[in-house]
Amino acid sequence: MAQQLAMVIDAAKCIDCKGCVAACKVANDVPTGQWRNWIKPTVEEVPIPGLLKSKPKFQPGACMHCENPTCVDACPTGATYKDKETGEVVINNALCIGCGNCIPSCPYDARFRNEVTRKADKCNYCPERRAAGLPPACVDTCPTKARVFGDINDPESAAGILYRKNKDRLTRISARTDTKPNMFYVGDPGHGDWGGEAVVPASMVAMKQSAPLIKGIVGLSGLGVLAMLGRQLLVGSDAEHKEDSDA
Amino acid sequence: MSRRDFFRASGLVAAGAVGGPALLGGLTKARAATPAAPAWESKFSACDMCFNKCGLIAQVEDGVIKKLDPNPKFLKSRGMLCARGNAGLAQVYDPDRLKHPLLRKGERGEGKWQRIPWDEAIDMAAQKMEETRKKYTPCGHLFSAGSDLHSQFVGRFAEVYGSFNVTSHESLCLVSGNRAFLDTYGEVPFPDVLNSKYIVMAGANRFEALVTPDSIDLMTAMREHGCKLVTLDPRYTKTASLSDEWYPIKPGTDMAFMLAVAHVIIGEKLYDPQWIEEKTYGIEQLTEHVRQYTPGFAAEECGIPAEAIARIARELAAAAPASMIYPGRRTSDYEDSTQIRRAFAIVNGLLGNWDRPGGLLAARAVGLKGVPYDAPWYDENQEDRIDADKVPMMFEHEGSFLVTRDSVLADDPYPVRGWFIYKTNPMGTAPNRRKTIEMMNKMDFVTVVDIAMSDTAWYADLVLPSQSYLERLDPCSGLQGSVACACVVKRDPIIDPLYESRSCFDIMKDIAGRMDLGEYFDFTIEEFRKKQTREIPEALEVMDRDGVYYNPSKVYGIYEGRIYKTLSKKIELYNQRYEQMGLDPLPIYTPPTKVPKNQFRLVLGRNAMITQSSTTNNALLHQFIPSNTLWLNPDAALSLGIKDGDLVEVSSSVGRQELRAEVTKKIRKDTVFMLSGFNTLSTMQSLSHGNGASINEVLEDDYDAVTGNASMHTTFVTVTRKVA
Repeated sequence: MAQQLAMVIDAAKCIDCKGCVAACKVANDVPTGQWRNWIKPTVEEVPIPGLLKSKPKFQPGACMHCENPTCVDACPTGATYKDKETGEVVINNALCIGCGNCIPSCPYDARFRNEVTRKADKCNYCPERRAAGLPPACVDTCPTKARVFGDINDPESAAGILYRKNKDRLTRISARTDTKPNMFYVGDPGHGDWGGEAVVPASMVAMKQSAPLIKGIVGLSGLGVLAMLGRQLLVGSDAEHKEDSDA
Repeated sequence: MSRRDFFRASGLVAAGAVGGPALLGGLTKARAATPAAPAWESKFSACDMCFNKCGLIAQVEDGVIKKLDPNPKFLKSRGMLCARGNAGLAQVYDPDRLKHPLLRKGERGEGKWQRIPWDEAIDMAAQKMEETRKKYTPCGHLFSAGSDLHSQFVGRFAEVYGSFNVTSHESLCLVSGNRAFLDTYGEVPFPDVLNSKYIVMAGANRFEALVTPDSIDLMTAMREHGCKLVTLDPRYTKTASLSDEWYPIKPGTDMAFMLAVAHVIIGEKLYDPQWIEEKTYGIEQLTEHVRQYTPGFAAEECGIPAEAIARIARELAAAAPASMIYPGRRTSDYEDSTQIRRAFAIVNGLLGNWDRPGGLLAARAVGLKGVPYDAPWYDENQEDRIDADKVPMMFEHEGSFLVTRDSVLADDPYPVRGWFIYKTNPMGTAPNRRKTIEMMNKMDFVTVVDIAMSDTAWYADLVLPSQSYLERLDPCSGLQGSVACACVVKRDPIIDPLYESRSCFDIMKDIAGRMDLGEYFDFTIEEFRKKQTREIPEALEVMDRDGVYYNPSKVYGIYEGRIYKTLSKKIELYNQRYEQMGLDPLPIYTPPTKVPKNQFRLVLGRNAMITQSSTTNNALLHQFIPSNTLWLNPDAALSLGIKDGDLVEVSSSVGRQELRAEVTKKIRKDTVFMLSGFNTLSTMQSLSHGNGASINEVLEDDYDAVTGNASMHTTFVTVTRKVA
């Protein structure tokens, strides 16, 4: 079986220390004010003093490397794709034109346009770190090890063990568009009503679903766009990009 | 996931390569090949973003630190690094860092500086210190150092210089709690959180104010071992929200709660009589003493139902000895802090948890030795510290900053006119900032060694740039963490020191050299380390290999067959020494001063992104905590006409500040809260200057009657909406 890299998270263990968020920012040079991962607090009324309901109060998250990634459908150049071997949703920076289509297409708000690179950005499970034999930065640094990462199809990996052990009570974030995210929460994930609806341009959906010929054309146009991008990078002008900032 | 697991997984990743959609086949594959592993060099160090010294691995590329990762072999921090630890880079590469020696040109606090060469700076520091010593005797010079591995050299310098006047940060933090436990058990314990089954946490916020390994172990104990956590806090903190039970206790009434718990345990004979008989002293007196403190009485005081108090007492006793009243660190709270914490210590005594799994642990052998020296004797000197005899049981090596400050201001009993400060920031951490400014103004010459222009540096005469923890060579340090370990760490330079920064040791050594005190600094840090590790000679090598050395010393049962270092040679429920000194031998409850009408009690607290005043100017952490707010209960806000986000003025008898109100049910109606470290005076802290409010400008400077520990929860403030 191919791999499926995933995160298995015990949200009840999260203490909202922001260690994972800080680690990710440093490891991935995420620009000031932008974030690849997060901890969502449960918006709750302060309870009546005394016994508290044992519910997760903080929910760690990031790109969920979905089974049915709507962002892939939204990408006009094929820059975003689901890797068949690892199950990751990958952004090929060389192909990304920064069009921003993929951003609303993610029901979990996991994508943003990197202010510096002007391309789509999101969690990529820290491939450089993995190549060096290190876990993703957020997982490595997590004090309570609420975040566990690995190949859930490998029954011997830490993620695989946790995945199997809790098989019956694993939950996913319930978004209005169910993309089958590969981020599994052990038991109650905390409040789950924030997952939105994927907004994919209709034209993109049509194209993605039509004949391979069209796909080929899309690919070629992607190449054209790439050429344009290359030219743009060579010429390089800040003023031209001003309108991007509100995307 | 263990590293080994990970290697397997990543191997598969590499083997699988990255496919890519068919349509762009070849191109995609070529472009999006598996990223190469970074050309990192991994170097061990220990974090210095707070006092915990968590083990880390610095990833360095071309002399630049790219990332700080946890050292998985470092048990004290359980292989983690928090947000502050990750933000270490932003501290080292902070554009606001001090870059070269600066000499004040204008008035104090005016911010006019002149860059001077190091030679001139050292000459000047030595000359001014000589002058002070000659004019005011050696004790006419004060030395203050924060929690740092080089701080011991400041203590050494003070001693060879001849001054008894050394203060640390601790009297603004935890000394009253240490006093209370020391005077009950003969030493300060380490809570065995990991193995505990029931924990009552009062006056601590362990999921936000991170202490390793306690914060992490607490979650493991709760989630994996079924430990129950009961939190008493006037705020609904993250710790409170993750607890099994939370009570918004009325501030200042913790002692009533603890005495009532003791009342129930004793009254219902829930303790182990044999243990109490063999190990403790004073059960009869305690029994008599707590008779009056019924759960009903405590309920009136604390605002916690009597049934809950009685039930918690019974549950604690049922889980004993694997249960505890968590000792905590926030002891800088009231004028009877030591006695409040004695009540905590006494309940632990009744639970019989000392030196046993899930209870309070004795210090383990770490193996490091001190490096002794003979300080010279100065005939012309004062008899004692300037803060001596003003409180009965101060810690000599920590001093009392507030008592010292009052004494300096009053020249009582003698004048102090010189001040040397390293890596501590009393202007930013001590209550009543105006008094600290007055104290500064009284000084002939103030030298500050720091990496940043703190408010204390901002009011100094000479400011010397020191090296950050990732640039310098540190002596070894022994650490202990619950059952995790008794270990030794050291720090080697990870990168070349930036700018003209020098280590505090080198600075001390140079100044001493110009004052004929060179013989006391006639060694290198490497030589010093060798002396420290003379009984564990393998330690240095092991630290090179693992980043940490563990001493395989005993964890439990250290006190089997051993006597306690108290007068009765037992755990003193009733403290005989206090009795001899005229202090209450058993804690007597006095209700806190009633909050005056239309006022609020100002309380302080920590969060995981703030270390006192040293992280609010950190560019990474600033993104998480851009400013501070005043927590205000909605009912109080309504009666004051204040809406969430309004600008409000907070004023006390000593000062006033403005900040935004955060209207939240997470705080009691009679209490307000704000974070520390904001609104610095120093404009060279560009993110924290003029941002939010300074809590120490507003806090009044009362202190604990036993230790001189600042009591930070005794200030009442008025809050008004600021009309634009």
